[in-house]
Amino acid sequence: MFFKKSIMAGTGLFLSIFLIVHLSANCLLLLPESMARELYNAYSTILRESIVITIVAYLLYLSIILHVVYAAIVTYKNYKASPDRYMMNHTNETSSWSSQNMGLLGVFILLFIVIHMANFWARIKLGLGDGVGFDAAGNLDVYEVTYSLFQNIYFVVFYSIMMIPLGLHLNHALKSAFKTLGFYHKKGLRVLAKISLVYAVVIAVGFGIIPLIVYLK
Amino acid sequence: MKVTFKIWRQDSPKSKGVLKSYETDGISEDMSFLEALDHLNEILVAKNEKVVAFEYDCREGICGQCGLFINGRAHGPHEHTTACQLHMRSFKDGDTIVVEPWRAAAFPIIKDLVVDRSAFDRIIEKGGYISAKTGTAPEANAMLIPKEIADASMDVAACIGCGACVATCKNASAALFTSAKINHLNKLPQGKPEQHRRVLDMTAQMEAEGFGSCTLTGACEVECPAGISIASIAEMNNRYVRAKLLG
Repeated sequence: MFFKKSIMAGTGLFLSIFLIVHLSANCLLLLPESMARELYNAYSTILRESIVITIVAYLLYLSIILHVVYAAIVTYKNYKASPDRYMMNHTNETSSWSSQNMGLLGVFILLFIVIHMANFWARIKLGLGDGVGFDAAGNLDVYEVTYSLFQNIYFVVFYSIMMIPLGLHLNHALKSAFKTLGFYHKKGLRVLAKISLVYAVVIAVGFGIIPLIVYLK
Repeated sequence: MKVTFKIWRQDSPKSKGVLKSYETDGISEDMSFLEALDHLNEILVAKNEKVVAFEYDCREGICGQCGLFINGRAHGPHEHTTACQLHMRSFKDGDTIVVEPWRAAAFPIIKDLVVDRSAFDRIIEKGGYISAKTGTAPEANAMLIPKEIADASMDVAACIGCGACVATCKNASAALFTSAKINHLNKLPQGKPEQHRRVLDMTAQMEAEGFGSCTLTGACEVECPAGISIASIAEMNNRYVRAKLLG
């Protein structure tokens, strides 16, 4: 149980760091179109051609898989530990809804990741679907892939709405991961709870608002 | 006061239980919750019906025997209290009060509201004691312990083993109980000789008993009559890692 939860905490923290890098890069999309296209495409070319990033990418895939697999195992065991539920249950008065429903939130996030990877990763890395052109500098035009996707209002709404479960998941996840790994300094935990909240809001609002801005561009 | 109890009735561990309604009159708001159940049982005796089985001992909030899930909360609507310290003035005249036993795979129901909490005893048997000779009471002062450490140890030693943490946990995790028992002894010099083995053995038994894992929802620390913080669980995790590396 400790091993599984520690793996979930470790992979979760790694994915949380990744989200910061991912969001920082996405901020390039907020620049005026001419600059954004050039910089965004140049940046993504650097990522694709870097050996280090390739290794990190495989670590990311592995982290997602481990996190999901162990989540499924732990959830199943927890279900076995509490099979008969109460006729009347008001435990929502003593703990947050999101902390009680991390698994459900995780399912939404996984669904999002699958669709997100189908939209970008499958098209750019695997070459599935419509071909991707090149920009003036000769870089793969990833900006166009992003821009065209977010001309579809359904995708804009989907991408923005799905950041709500992500934010709720992250708010509980960040502080809990540290506790799972053994951080127990009481004052530190109070600070950590605030950091978790700020982190979750920044990530959710940041990722949630960019598709809207791109749509309105 | 007139109150309607809806109580979980179950004849034996194997039989199927149901919620049964009992209307009672003549309850005083000064009665403790357990006294109100006594009152109900006297009515049932007069009617020649089977009384409701429930556990208690001290009735002053320190023994951990009374454990009831009242209106959807462990030990009733208040935080940091036991069912015996809950009074009928916390309810209104005409209220319907739902009373259920603790529910967890590791706490099988024996009868009505009585559950078998011997899983906790078996966790204690794996290391909730010390092997060092500590002498008689006057010798307690022979070993100097800094006040902060003594206080921190006492904070978790306050656990009365009632099982509210397990009852309120969505995973029926015994992490708060086990962490309290481990940290209580591991903080003190008398508990140091077997500190690593204690963490590994007690947590292994906790898992073997079929308790769930901790999601750190924090529900347990709200219901805990001794007010033990979930930081205690984080500390146990820390000690577990250290025991794995050093033990």
